Amino acid sequence: MTSDSVLPNVVPTPTVSPSLREENIKFQVRLKTEDGGLQLILPAEAESSIDHTWTELWEQLKHRLNGGDRFWQPQTKVRLMAQDRLLDGRQLKAIADALKEAELQIERIYTTRRQTAVAAATAGYSVEQQLRFSSVVSGKPSQLKEPVAEPLYLELTVRSGVEIRHPGTVAIVGDVNPGGSIIAVGDILVWGRLRGIAHAGCQGNSQCRIMALQMEPTQLRIASSVARAPDKPPKQFYPEVAYISPEGILRIARAADFVRTPIETMEDKR
Amino acid sequence: MSRIIVVTSGKGGVGKTTVTANLGMTIARLGHQVALVDADFGLRNLDLLLGLENRVVYTAAEVIIGECRLEQALVKDKRQPGLMLLPATQNRRAEAINPQQMKQLIGELSKMCDYVLIDSPAGIEMGFKNAIAGATEALIVTTPEIAAVRDADRVVGLLEAQSVKRIHLIVNRLRPKMVRENDMMSVEDVQEILAVPLIGVIPEDENVIVSTNRGEPLALADNLSLAGVAFQNVGRRLQGESVEFLDLDNNNENFFSRIGKVLRTKIF
Ligand SMILES: Nc1ncnc2c1ncn2[C@@H]1O[C@H](COP(=O)(O)OP(=O)(O)OP(=O)(O)O)[C@@H](O)[C@H]1O
Ligand SMILES: [Mg+2]
Repeated sequence: MTSDSVLPNVVPTPTVSPSLREENIKFQVRLKTEDGGLQLILPAEAESSIDHTWTELWEQLKHRLNGGDRFWQPQTKVRLMAQDRLLDGRQLKAIADALKEAELQIERIYTTRRQTAVAAATAGYSVEQQLRFSSVVSGKPSQLKEPVAEPLYLELTVRSGVEIRHPGTVAIVGDVNPGGSIIAVGDILVWGRLRGIAHAGCQGNSQCRIMALQMEPTQLRIASSVARAPDKPPKQFYPEVAYISPEGILRIARAADFVRTPIETMEDKR
Repeated sequence: MSRIIVVTSGKGGVGKTTVTANLGMTIARLGHQVALVDADFGLRNLDLLLGLENRVVYTAAEVIIGECRLEQALVKDKRQPGLMLLPATQNRRAEAINPQQMKQLIGELSKMCDYVLIDSPAGIEMGFKNAIAGATEALIVTTPEIAAVRDADRVVGLLEAQSVKRIHLIVNRLRPKMVRENDMMSVEDVQEILAVPLIGVIPEDENVIVSTNRGEPLALADNLSLAGVAFQNVGRRLQGESVEFLDLDNNNENFFSRIGKVLRTKIF
């Protein structure tokens, strides 16, 4: 990709199907720091239209733990926010084992389901059974304006078939391989090669950017704009930034140039 | 502690079974006790490649159900003491086997030998999960093709999630001439995507097909062909030796003279 070139096959903003804009981002396993400990938040069943199998959940958890184990001290306490998820004893043990491998300890399990609470108590954990969220009933979670989550920092290779979704900015230290994808409500930074799919501002924020040391994506999306990489890769790569120009076109600029010529609209980001 | 290694790929037909058979033979030749497990249930062919088909009586399923003891199901290779095979189940019983049972079976088997090599089926479904259940290491086999590498990448991700931490890469069916002419991915191209340490490069070699049909793994021959040497090198690297990678870029004619040289310099 040459400096500041418009990618071929750029799709202007309004023509993209609305489904792109309504990415429901809240359905992946999340790890959140909170004073002195960690929260492990499982996606609520009622919140996601997609039915997560246990295996998928578990893989997400393992990837999160493998990709960010420098952020906590050994034996940090974890509060497991199981929400409305049904977990049996075997699954709770699997979660505990995975955490143990990353030198984390379950402190307490929070759940809205009686069965999960019983299973957790039987397995010997402290449990707190919570009331169901009222928002669950309203059925349209994406309309609740949630504040953007803290950035997700992962040190790993996003391999084929892996999808990272996060309701904030995502920073990957490593490559995003062909077949891998990152979908973020905020910006996407790839300290490595971006060869898969990156979708920044997936809930419609066209101020978001995608940055990579080496941009050779299968596809880039910002808000509802889509761009495909040119068929012929360039001879040399530079760190690049993809953004939506004031004319509403997805552009890519060399990072060095991008920083030197600030774009006016960059100020009122978010 | 014995090593439990699954040979897997994602994409089918890239050479998992060929690698398992030849590597097993090589490691046994190097003086270790090796058990090969055919975890490609329903489509067993490891026994065929090894030429042991007519000696299979029981399979993994009978052991799991408790119809026979593990020792009874194991087929010993008369040509190579130290090598044995746990055959795959071909009938519907295969569907009932789950990862937990496999893990237990493999654990038991590992007590009897130094190496357990598990040949896995293509894909990432139940059969794959069964195959990787007991493994602590993996050999990823891929051919230098985009589709195969993509699937291999997916499998590496899954293995990492399953806490299989020691993963090595084998690039199979490399054709140096095509690479030179830019018609095939190079080993470096493959490595760049997978970011997994390389343990072997096996060239495309007609002898592989001949040996498959005869039921005599290449690695059994006294005069090793190019692919045979490559397999042997994988075996040696696996046991911790550092062995130079073959220079596949030159013609076969002067290959053996160069091998001789390498061996000599290594020995003294
Ligand atoms: N290095 C090689 N040179 C030439 N032919 C090869 C080589 N490696 C494998 N083959 C051939 O490729 C075919 C597939 O090999 P093999 O059965 O080992 O693959 P597989 O990955 O086990 O397949 P499946 O996914 O169906 O189990 C066989 O016919 C084999 O002889
Ligand atoms: Mg096979």
